[in-house]
Amino acid sequence: MNDTIVKSITRLVIPFVQVYGIFIILNGHVSPGGGFSGGALLGTSLILYTLVFGAIKAKHKFSHKASEIAESGGILIFVTVGLIAIFVGMPFLTNLAAGFPAGSAGAILSAGMIPIIMIGIGIKVASTMITLFHKLIEEVIQ
Amino acid sequence: MISQLPIINLVALLLMAIMVPFIKKISFRATLWLGGILLIGVLVSSVFIFIHVANVGDIIYHFGDYESFLGIEFKVDPFASLFTLFVGTLAFIIYVYSSGDKTEGIESPEFSRYYVLYFLMLFAMFGILYSNDLFNTYVFIEIISLTSCAIISIKRKKEPYPAAFRYVLLNEIGSLSFLFGIAMLYMISGHLNIDLLANTIQSGWTTLPINIIFAIVFMTVGLSLKAAIFPFHIWLPDAHASAPSTSSAILSAVVVKIYILVLIKLILKVFGVELFASLGMDTVLLIFGGAGMIMGSIFAMTQKDLKRMLGYSSVSQIGYIVVGLALMSDLGLRSAFFHIISHGLTKAALFLSVGIVIYLKKSRSVKGFEGLGFQIPIAMTVFGIAAFSMIGIPLTSGFIAKWNLGIAVESASQYIFLGVIVISSLLNAMYYLPILFAAFLKDNPEHQEKVSIEKIPAAMLLPIVVLGLSILLIGIYPNLLMQLIDLVIARL
Repeated sequence: MNDTIVKSITRLVIPFVQVYGIFIILNGHVSPGGGFSGGALLGTSLILYTLVFGAIKAKHKFSHKASEIAESGGILIFVTVGLIAIFVGMPFLTNLAAGFPAGSAGAILSAGMIPIIMIGIGIKVASTMITLFHKLIEEVIQ
Repeated sequence: MISQLPIINLVALLLMAIMVPFIKKISFRATLWLGGILLIGVLVSSVFIFIHVANVGDIIYHFGDYESFLGIEFKVDPFASLFTLFVGTLAFIIYVYSSGDKTEGIESPEFSRYYVLYFLMLFAMFGILYSNDLFNTYVFIEIISLTSCAIISIKRKKEPYPAAFRYVLLNEIGSLSFLFGIAMLYMISGHLNIDLLANTIQSGWTTLPINIIFAIVFMTVGLSLKAAIFPFHIWLPDAHASAPSTSSAILSAVVVKIYILVLIKLILKVFGVELFASLGMDTVLLIFGGAGMIMGSIFAMTQKDLKRMLGYSSVSQIGYIVVGLALMSDLGLRSAFFHIISHGLTKAALFLSVGIVIYLKKSRSVKGFEGLGFQIPIAMTVFGIAAFSMIGIPLTSGFIAKWNLGIAVESASQYIFLGVIVISSLLNAMYYLPILFAAFLKDNPEHQEKVSIEKIPAAMLLPIVVLGLSILLIGIYPNLLMQLIDLVIARL
């Protein structure tokens, strides 16, 4: 797409979308939102980049290797947080009873492990969306 | 500690699946060894779980320490632990085989992907058996359908794509009808937990019977579609034939059975036998099963492709299991459980030994077995044992399975099914025996001088020898397994 207006607007919009996505991920336990919706926003911002600037340039921004790491990393965060509870002797994914700090209600650092898990989900969802989109585009190009 | 083992099994399988892309960069052999060790660990812990569950009592596991009406619950009873043991054992045997089998289409770039999918699929199967929550079961079912679709089409050739596409379409219809059934049940009870749901079914039957009728019909049909019970079997032969041998083995021997186990869980634990039978669904299943026993064998006879033939043979064997289940008696259930395990071993042995034949001949035709019994004696002997087990010749596990089904059918006075069992066995003999005759009794006219023992990798031979021996072992000492099955039924 070789349109100056689209390109400059995209350049302008993407940072805001991404910041909003991160905001939604981090505030998932305080306000409506969470890892999935925030991750979807992050993913869409990169999909927008791919649409406007082309697949080759987007590959530089977010390579196949990076997506591989991000995807496995997202699950790893989730599982390790869950496993901490097992080491304490509680059932898998136990929250406050397993010794996660409660924090003050309403702050970002509260609700024990929920923010950490949300970050994991956010990374996973964002990278999955981008990978799926890139795969589809690759098939079309070939 | 032992109550944590089920979740540790699950997490170990999941972690292995996501770690494969990373470890394979260091060394692929190391990945294979790690996966094997991990599967042995999972097996050992499954044995421990089974012993604990059989002697002490069910393991009830609440995720995140929430009450069962709020959170997700795992319930490991003898049923779950026996069948996870079955899944784990077969998965390990097939894993060893696949680690030696780099020949049949799966090339090295796809190899790591294959193991990611394999471990994810195992993870989902263990999850289905452990889970005591209907929606969780649905999620695991979806994981199985997606991974098995990818495993069918892993070869990146044109041929498996239509089969995989048909597989995924029909399986999605199956999953969605299952989900619809869950929604209907949730509407009357407000629970997804199987135990809590079972308590409210009776009161729901008086207030909203239409919901329960819809739920029973949709869930039964959805699971039948996924388990390839006779009129819904059209996707199975193509899908199982075009996949690589190791994938067909796990799909046909284990994955299809999982859906039948879910159906059994639903009928016995959620709806209850009386309600299910009062709607006449047992007759429906009985007819489906009986028709499948005959029609599957008839379709199999006409096949020219060896693996399609085995696929149709699976359809007919699933018919036996369904008939055992549809009798709705302890004897019938006993024969169904025995047949699930016996057919799992037998079909895995058949697909894996056929894998060696394909490795040697590079073709999947039913023809051209002449003299093969002398070129690959071990593989063809195992094929012979497994074929005898399919036909139901004494000393093999298939005979005991059919014998028990016969007893169950007789005590339920459905005498017509005794005839169906005999006819189906004869039909089985009609398509397995010619292959064996050709392999062992005929000479190969083309390579008269070339009839020598071929070298096959040990990693491919060892698993099928173990499978062949276990078919014989269970056939000669069926009580080893029957005791466990009786325990399962007593505690179900």
